[in-house]
Amino acid sequence: MATVLRQVLQMFERAEAPLSVRQMARELEITPAMLDGMLAYWVRKGKLRRVQPGQACGTCGKAARCPLVAHLPPAYELVREGEPPLPPCPLSEEHHAN
Amino acid sequence: MKTCCSSPPPKTASPPRPAEAQHAQPPTATAPVIALAGNPNVGKSTLFNALTGARQHVGNWPGKTVERKEGIARIHDRDLTIVDLPGTYSLNAYSSEEIITRDFLVNEHPSLVIAVVDAANLERNLYLVVQVLELGVPLLLALNMADAAHKRGLRFDLPALSERLGGVPVVETVGSRNQGVDALRERIHECLSRPAAPPQVAIDYGQPLEREIAALEKRIAADPILSRQFRPRWLALKLLENDEDLRARLEGAGYQELLAAADQAAARVAEQSGEDPETLITDRRYTFIADVLRGVVQRTHDNGETLSDKIDRVAAHPFWGVPIFALAMWVVFQFTARVSAPFVDWIAAVLEGPLSDWTLALLDVLRLGHSWVASLLVEGVIAGVGGVVAFVPVLASLYLAMAILEDTGYMARSALVMDGVMRKIGLHGKSFLPLVVGFGCTVPAVYATRTLENETDRKLTGFLTPFISCGARLPVYVVFSAAFFGAHAGSFIFALYVLGIAVALGTGWLLKHTVYRHVPPQPLVLEMPPYRLPNWPNIARQVWTRTKSFLHNASTIILMSSVVIWLLLALPSRPGVGRVADVPPHDSVFGVVSRALAPLFKPAGFGAWEASGSLMTGFVAKEVVISTMSQLYVDEPSTDQAPLEAERPDLLADLGEIARSFGQATLLTFQEAVNIAPRTLSLLPGVHLPELNAFTPSEAEEADNTRTLELALQREFTQSAGSPARGELAAAAFNVFVLLYVPCTATVAAMRQEFGTRWTLTQMAYALGVAWLFAVLAYQGGLLLGVA
Repeated sequence: MATVLRQVLQMFERAEAPLSVRQMARELEITPAMLDGMLAYWVRKGKLRRVQPGQACGTCGKAARCPLVAHLPPAYELVREGEPPLPPCPLSEEHHAN
Repeated sequence: MKTCCSSPPPKTASPPRPAEAQHAQPPTATAPVIALAGNPNVGKSTLFNALTGARQHVGNWPGKTVERKEGIARIHDRDLTIVDLPGTYSLNAYSSEEIITRDFLVNEHPSLVIAVVDAANLERNLYLVVQVLELGVPLLLALNMADAAHKRGLRFDLPALSERLGGVPVVETVGSRNQGVDALRERIHECLSRPAAPPQVAIDYGQPLEREIAALEKRIAADPILSRQFRPRWLALKLLENDEDLRARLEGAGYQELLAAADQAAARVAEQSGEDPETLITDRRYTFIADVLRGVVQRTHDNGETLSDKIDRVAAHPFWGVPIFALAMWVVFQFTARVSAPFVDWIAAVLEGPLSDWTLALLDVLRLGHSWVASLLVEGVIAGVGGVVAFVPVLASLYLAMAILEDTGYMARSALVMDGVMRKIGLHGKSFLPLVVGFGCTVPAVYATRTLENETDRKLTGFLTPFISCGARLPVYVVFSAAFFGAHAGSFIFALYVLGIAVALGTGWLLKHTVYRHVPPQPLVLEMPPYRLPNWPNIARQVWTRTKSFLHNASTIILMSSVVIWLLLALPSRPGVGRVADVPPHDSVFGVVSRALAPLFKPAGFGAWEASGSLMTGFVAKEVVISTMSQLYVDEPSTDQAPLEAERPDLLADLGEIARSFGQATLLTFQEAVNIAPRTLSLLPGVHLPELNAFTPSEAEEADNTRTLELALQREFTQSAGSPARGELAAAAFNVFVLLYVPCTATVAAMRQEFGTRWTLTQMAYALGVAWLFAVLAYQGGLLLGVA
């Protein structure tokens, strides 16, 4: 039987709909705090990626100060084999509305 | 050969910093060393301060930029050296902090390690504790931030926890309030008063791991240097975990044979279990933690379900979440359009009235009253920039509503709900992120497509982002809804936003089933923040930052555009039609070009050249549509008084009127804010709640307050379409066109940079086609349905 850690990855592969961390923890019958640690393990192993779209168009730290970017929750996603790293965001701090 | 396989021992800290040196007091050579270890943000430093007071010494760890804090605690008349180790989640060698912590625990052999954990997140925090236990060092566990855990209904059976962790003493603390610190001191004293006894606990890693651990352990134990420095079982585990830092050190010290044996053991484990040893070991540790905590942690007032969970059962429900999100957006646009309207009118009245009059009076004094300078300042700058600045309350209201949604945690849920909708249509789950960003501004939304790792998904999502209505388009909707749709202004704007989303999703569905059909959707797991009450200072800061950005835009792009448009309006298109700055607008260069485009929009009901001219300039930035209209209609006075023949201003009377109208706008804003609740509840079938109208101006006052631009729009669109009802349809069609047509220059530049010229031109052509089609459908469809 697959380990709980492996089941975390399998849930990402099989999920039909978006999930929240708490929903995922409930389905795995573990606490969100434990799942948090498990997600961090897979991020360290390069199997998952944690993106923070609310702060930086998802890609750079500078745009965290971009006033027009909506603040959204961080998200985890699978990293596919041989996938290139995300390019940096070209927006400067002094970004203005269109 | 085999001398040492550890990094230089961190015995000596770098010199103390000058500001802190006055408190520095090097520890005595004989003082027992106590290490504080724990995850980041668990209040470790607070406990460190509580234990040591001012007797601290701050420097860096040798060769690292990581801060090293050391201090002296006096417990039962005995000085103890307390070392605050860097916050880490584990003892693996993934970061400098982890290596420093591990090296300290392995090489320095502290007399006691205090593992500080966040009591509310024990399951995650205990992972580090388990690794420290495996090191075999004397341990004391501090469940810190216990107050927060108690508030969440968590209670701990401390004796049971201690027993399951092999006799590790456990104490609850609240470092920030100095609670439990005395008990912690007592436990430290007790631990140090008896012979050092490492906790007796061993995790069963099961077969085949245990067999390989035992073999490696035996091999390590047989080596006097390694067995003196490391606990053999711990090192065996680290080797099976493929710890790169330790492997490099062992390789440098000549332990190739041991490493080869570890590699073979790891390969056997992987072959027999179908899983790599590191994942197996990590999983077993979590299983151990779950077993330890079973029955030790009790929840007193819920079954692990928080209030946020309960709200989410409805608000983030795959089905009900969608209408709730739509309702939330409806309220946002009611708020944006209705609550801000009184102040929009107030600013516009000040700009059109006293400010223009004062400017003209000043120019008269300077003998420039009837020159091109007056025309530039009043018809160009004040009308153009002022026309946009008047909408600051609208944008501020939108930003306020968005900030409240973000701060309370609802925006995160809307992302979850929208993600579900997108995936049902067949779009990539993550496409919703750039689209939500697009409600603010399309430029960062285009760049936000970079979060999609697949190029096809990126291009597809980038294609859709311009259809999501950005903040810059809002002033256009507001001025038109105020001129034509009165009490239904909020619903009209809401409908436009819904149309934008529908066109984006429809286009996505179309492309997904034609051009981009092969890409599988990727699931997403979102970290949902708990719902919370708004933090008003934080919200105020966000609203100000965003509004400032809008104002900055008005002072640069809009100002420049206004001057260029004024110039094009001031230049005669051919000789004999007038002089520079004294030419009928329709004979100016701008007028001639706009007139050439106007017939294209006749089927959509707005065939007047002013409308087509405004759309043309809207390509620079969408707010410029309003700025241009303000300039055009100021040049075509509808009142009795010519715009540049201002009355002699009476400063005091003007100031009095400004103050009076400000008060009236404030009361009206209050009334509109109060009315949102009954208006929203009245959406329910059979419900009709009365609204507050104590401050509603009389019809005469309202007519007086109506802006020149709104009156001009009513007049022009009615005239162009043929009747007031047809004028309303034409106004709606115009807004549909503004919503959907080519994005602004900044967005086009961003799209070209991200997706190339050909793709960008395709998007622009598609957007123009769709905008024209929908505008014509809105107008002609309305006529066919007998709306007009």
